[in-house]
Amino acid sequence: MKRLKYVLKRVLMAFPVLWLGTSMTWYVIYQGPVDPATNLLSSQERLTEAKVEAAREQLGLNRPPLEHYVDWTSSLFVLDLGQTWLIYPGSNVGALVVDFLPRTVWLGFWSVLIAVFVGIPLGFYAGVRSNTVADYIASISGIVWRAMPNFWLAVILLSLLVGSESLLGFDWDTLLVDLPSGVTGNPGLSYMAGDPLALFTQPGETLAAIKKILPAALVLGSASMGNEMRIGRTAVLETKNEQYVDFARAKGVSNRAIVWKHVFRNALIPLVPIVTTEAFLLIGGSVLVESVFGINGMGKLFFDAAIQGDLPLVGSLMFVFIVLLLVINIVQDILYTLIDPRVGYDAN
Amino acid sequence: MATPTRTYAESEADALGERVSRNPRPALIWVGVSAFLLLLEAGAAVEFLLNVLGDFLRAVPQVGRVQAVVNLQEAAGNVPTLLSRETIPNRGYYNGQEYVGTFMGLAPGTAWQFRVGLIYAYSFALLAWTWVGYDWYRTHYRVADWTPRDDVVDRLRSHGWGLFGLAVVFMFFVLVVFAPAVSPTTVAANLADPYGHTMTYWTGSGTEEITVGQANLGAQSQGTPQENVGPWSYDKYGRFHPFGTLPSGKDLFTFIAHGARISLIIGLLSVGLSASVALILALVSAYYKGAVDLSVVLISDAVMGMPQLLLLIMLTVILSGTWIGKIYSGAFVLALIFAGTGWPAMWRSFRGPALQVSEQEWVDAAKAFGQSPTAIMRKHMLPYITGYLLVYGSMTLGGAIIAIAGLSFLGLGVNPPTPEWGRAVNAGQDYVATSSWHISLIPGILITLVVTGFNALGDGIRDAIDPESDSAGGEGEAGGRGGGA
Repeated sequence: MKRLKYVLKRVLMAFPVLWLGTSMTWYVIYQGPVDPATNLLSSQERLTEAKVEAAREQLGLNRPPLEHYVDWTSSLFVLDLGQTWLIYPGSNVGALVVDFLPRTVWLGFWSVLIAVFVGIPLGFYAGVRSNTVADYIASISGIVWRAMPNFWLAVILLSLLVGSESLLGFDWDTLLVDLPSGVTGNPGLSYMAGDPLALFTQPGETLAAIKKILPAALVLGSASMGNEMRIGRTAVLETKNEQYVDFARAKGVSNRAIVWKHVFRNALIPLVPIVTTEAFLLIGGSVLVESVFGINGMGKLFFDAAIQGDLPLVGSLMFVFIVLLLVINIVQDILYTLIDPRVGYDAN
Repeated sequence: MATPTRTYAESEADALGERVSRNPRPALIWVGVSAFLLLLEAGAAVEFLLNVLGDFLRAVPQVGRVQAVVNLQEAAGNVPTLLSRETIPNRGYYNGQEYVGTFMGLAPGTAWQFRVGLIYAYSFALLAWTWVGYDWYRTHYRVADWTPRDDVVDRLRSHGWGLFGLAVVFMFFVLVVFAPAVSPTTVAANLADPYGHTMTYWTGSGTEEITVGQANLGAQSQGTPQENVGPWSYDKYGRFHPFGTLPSGKDLFTFIAHGARISLIIGLLSVGLSASVALILALVSAYYKGAVDLSVVLISDAVMGMPQLLLLIMLTVILSGTWIGKIYSGAFVLALIFAGTGWPAMWRSFRGPALQVSEQEWVDAAKAFGQSPTAIMRKHMLPYITGYLLVYGSMTLGGAIIAIAGLSFLGLGVNPPTPEWGRAVNAGQDYVATSSWHISLIPGILITLVVTGFNALGDGIRDAIDPESDSAGGEGEAGGRGGGA
């Protein structure tokens, strides 16, 4: 019961956070120094009073601020995200999100997966063999990997893969799976539309989509990979010295069984919150990675909207991101209580 | 040294002045040598400070160019400094027999190396002398034989990784402070106004004078072996480029050295601001707890609920047109935005230690004694969290440098033509796989090195102040990544 209460408390806490975040976004966009209405017009149209008035009317800016605020937030809370003005003019933001989100989710999923499956084993390996040359190499490369800026790594990796034939001696585009469209561009996810099971029934398409996203996912996951490695290493080092490990050893349990059954399973606990906390980094980093790799995902959409001055779209997207992050956080809390039953008893 | 039989506070002992006058020799030597070292570079130091001041004043529209500051700047420029480009010039030309205008007739590259080598030797000497000063103070003048801080310092001294970070950070600071002196050329002549400056070069049969702008056109790095000036090479006009040139033919080292300046100024300003806000809030929320704590939790959660990099993009776009967005090429507003979006992460890191301290008996005692809340926070709680300030400040600074570079890579933040590292990466992104690979690669490697340095320094300080701590904490780590840039 206590655990349920803990999760419920976290869900309840999410609402004021959502409300505050949305309100701040509204204030910045609609009460800030830039008039969102004139921003949507061309420099010619800006001169005509009637056009400006019409744009203000459509955005509801001629109404009292409080009324506009209530109207804007309440329509967001029922998931009416409004329409776009400059980016894909006139389309429904909700439809746009449905269109763009899968690519970002695909990218995020693989970057988390790569980070988890490379970072954690490396960290555990370094932890089990602490203070050996292998440990030092793994630790230092993890730290450097963490400090590399995503955008730079993306630029370098992209150039390497585009020129892979002359630089690396193999052609990335035809390696294993054929990618006629090259390294950059959207992963082909359309085959799954309306039939999510196609992910498994059409492995050729799935592999192509994975290969397409792989370089971007590797870059996006780089920081997390380094992080998970460090934390994995520390977790193993700490668990190694626990009494139950000594006891198992005294009992004559084999080294292999100690490492797999006693050390690894307990060392995994501190890693769960880390994986989900990194959602922040993934969403922020997606702007740069998607821009470099030319993926039309949420990050690029947000960036284009901001650069071109489609402020209403920026506001709606910000709301989507806040909701996304809150959902990820709540899922993390639920997962965490399942893995470590002690959570929630002493949480504040 | 014998252990003192009774302990007493510094305030009960004689004044520092009296302790010094009893044994003045070490103090006099130390002050004399420091004064000598500082005098060598007095001009450069004053010029740096005035430069920063002048930039800020010029950027505020109401004030504009203050003539007094400009005059002072010129006067400071006339103070002879040992390690300046005037004393050891590296720009000159070959006249058929020898180099004219360079230091002792050396080749421009050698002269530049000599100057940079001297500057770094000087800086490390200054650092070492500062340490000697602390050491002498400890042995000759401090009342106590031992203080807890000695252990912290000793732990940091034996922390190889932390020392590596300290060295990298120190070298970065030297690059920033001495940017005009370590650059092979000046911002004015090479980056800002190349057509307003002329230079002489050896054509092969005689010397000729052209504008720097024209020379830059002949020194472009465009990816082909013919049109490329790589690292550590001379261009057709006899100019030495330690890091090669940009696609526009401008000198990459000068660009990077001055870009480091703006990165560090934004970083320090934003970390200083957000750390102060976080510190005050941590103290207040830990002292009052309850509703105060809860409301700070909510506000910080709301700010952190928006991805920092997206928030940065949104705010830079919205604030770029305002007067505040124009101060210091947009750097000032960037620092404010960083501070505004960065304090919650820091506050989270300070909250735990602050709460722990607030539970201590001495805080209760001070309350019972009737001390005012501000005095309790300042005297009895603050000293225990300042260590964490250094740890997270160092890590956040690294993250800020990444994020600033990421924004300028996207074309946001610091306005061109002010140099910024991210813009160099952007300018070179089409040339990575060509012979002009240096344009993107070198700034990226430098960012990685500097950020690693700040993280290592943070690790070192954390292990020094709190050796029991978990060396890979989760919460604060995200702050060191610049929101994922």
